[in-house]
Amino acid sequence: MKMRFRIISSIAIAAVSTLLLASCGADPDSPGLEYMPDMYRSAAIEPYVDYGEIQGKQNEDLKMLLSAKVPPFGTVPYYGTDSAAVSLMLPYARLANNSFRSTHGMFDAELSSQGVDTYVLAAADVNPMELTEENMKDVFDAGKSIFNSKCAHCHGEKGDGNGPMVESGAYVGVPDYANLTNLSDGQMFYSIYYGKGMMGAHGSIINKKEIWTVVHYIRKFQDPNYGPGSVQMAAPVEGDDAPADDEANNPE
Amino acid sequence: MKCHNSTKFACVKKGFFDVGRTVFYMKISSSQMFRNFNKWCLGTLTFLFLAGTFNAQAQGEDLFKAKCATCHQVFKDGTGPKLFEVRQKWESGGAIEGSIIQWVNDFDVAVAKDPYAASVAAWSTTSMSKFPDLTEEQIVSIFDWVDTQEEKSAVAAGPGGDANAQEEESSMGWVWMILGIVFVVIILAVGGVRRQLKSATAEASGEDFDEHMSYSEELKQWAWLNKRYVGVGALVVVMGGVVILFLGLYSINVMENYQPSQPIEFPHATHAGINGIDCKYCHNSVDKSRTAGLPTVNVCMNCHKQITGAGDQVAKIQKIYDAAGWDPTGAGKYTNETKEIVWNKVHVLPDHVYFNHSQHVVVGGVDCKQCHGDMATMTETAKVMSVEELNKVEGNIPLTKPTLTMGWCIECHQEKEVSLGTLDTKGDGYYNEIHKRLLNNDKSLYGQYLEDGKVTVKELGGWECAKCHY
Repeated sequence: MKMRFRIISSIAIAAVSTLLLASCGADPDSPGLEYMPDMYRSAAIEPYVDYGEIQGKQNEDLKMLLSAKVPPFGTVPYYGTDSAAVSLMLPYARLANNSFRSTHGMFDAELSSQGVDTYVLAAADVNPMELTEENMKDVFDAGKSIFNSKCAHCHGEKGDGNGPMVESGAYVGVPDYANLTNLSDGQMFYSIYYGKGMMGAHGSIINKKEIWTVVHYIRKFQDPNYGPGSVQMAAPVEGDDAPADDEANNPE
Repeated sequence: MKCHNSTKFACVKKGFFDVGRTVFYMKISSSQMFRNFNKWCLGTLTFLFLAGTFNAQAQGEDLFKAKCATCHQVFKDGTGPKLFEVRQKWESGGAIEGSIIQWVNDFDVAVAKDPYAASVAAWSTTSMSKFPDLTEEQIVSIFDWVDTQEEKSAVAAGPGGDANAQEEESSMGWVWMILGIVFVVIILAVGGVRRQLKSATAEASGEDFDEHMSYSEELKQWAWLNKRYVGVGALVVVMGGVVILFLGLYSINVMENYQPSQPIEFPHATHAGINGIDCKYCHNSVDKSRTAGLPTVNVCMNCHKQITGAGDQVAKIQKIYDAAGWDPTGAGKYTNETKEIVWNKVHVLPDHVYFNHSQHVVVGGVDCKQCHGDMATMTETAKVMSVEELNKVEGNIPLTKPTLTMGWCIECHQEKEVSLGTLDTKGDGYYNEIHKRLLNNDKSLYGQYLEDGKVTVKELGGWECAKCHY
């Protein structure tokens, strides 16, 4: 009898220890053992790190609820001490149309309360980055690298609307820039910043300087001779109400 | 290509959009040609007539792509409603004849005249562009072309096979465990039988057998009898234990193959591979900031406003819609009822290490692949690639130390060239000032650096402690 009990108890111990070993398997969401955990999570808040649990202590206030956040609307990034560069980074004067709340998800943004289509008004805006013989090459090079990383997967490296997204059949309805010759620089900026139709707002991805740079580069698709001498594509639309609206859109 | 229409004319007309079909048609007409001259004549006439219609069709296609495709799709609602058989839809909705043409020219005119057009205007808050230049014939050609299109069956591209393989692997673990338990049971059973046999033989030969001697007492007795072997064995076991302990200590803090679960099983292969999206589109702060950045949900929506997915993708993409507060029904609209997405951080560096993405990507010109591997082929969620996987990527500097360890960092700093060692290779770049100072201050040092033909990050201070630890 005693012998049997011994065998049963040995089996039980073996089974329990096997189960214990199995439960010791690493939690897939844990990066593993750390030598000095307090040097991993310091008091200074790091991006994308959940501070809800530090050394076993739960802290509800610090628990991460959202890992990727859009910069608060209208915030101006620090952009050095060059006043020309800084003025480029000031908030965009044109407000988006009211309908963008439901079409482009702009809940936090200040929207235009006027009945006028601000996209039409944006035609009056002029590209503040002037092209000169000296900066031309740099602007186009920078524009190319921005375009290829932020635009080309849909619009195509040649701007013909045949990017890899379109060729794979995932996305349809990307226009060829050659068909958009009556689009002014200001409207192009507006479309990139706030979005247009299917295209979403890209103002959170590329800053204003980059957008104006890429506008220059897109102009080059439409006109291979586009350069310092070229006339800016801007036209005062619908009489004289454009400048008046401009003031109304710039609360002091 | 199937032919639904009953008339031969429409059937053949469709065939012109399919090369195979055209050849087939030509073959029939050529065989007919020998049999019946009249029929051949008819065939030629039909061909000529069709050539004319084909031109109109081509015009319709060109116009659709140039003017409509930005907002309208043939089979799916987008910024504008789908256009397939839209004329029939207007007709059955009770629209005044011809008002759809007016709508395209100037929708305001159509809305004023036709109550059905007014109801269409309420479909979306976005109003359609006006196309006063298009003639009626052109507009009809667009609709004609749209109606000849055929819907492609949705191709579901999901990583179904991989998931099965993974499941199999984890079930294999259970098999091993059960096998282990079975072995333990067998060993114990055999031990019991042995003891019983021993006591039986001892009883038979009249020897005194202590039945109450426990396993451990028995073991001690046996060990005392074979103390030389037991001693050597124990030494080996202890040495092995020490080695395993140190290997274990070395593996602490090594993050290789760390692959945490994610709220959405995001396949990089589909995005960066098949659809050719640049890494910097989603991780867009990589060239401006210390962190590469996770895409905010509005970046996802830039494409997924249109792409709803197929098969198992639908549920995943629905999570994006929930997070963005997007209601995809009809024209779709944002509802402002958003949710949070909390991604799990994959590449974790201790707080006492300073790492800056923009310094590496913009100034150093390091490709994302050097540290993150070829994500364009990664069908699973992101993980810390092991150094073996990284070394397989073409163009990477081969390294030996585990990924994300300090050894790995400084190994790369030792190998990575800053420039080819000449002042003009990088234009008036970031490092040229350092090259100039080296040339002016200490030519011999510069010559020493250039002995192997390159200037590395290490030689410009990439191994100094305070570069990363401060």
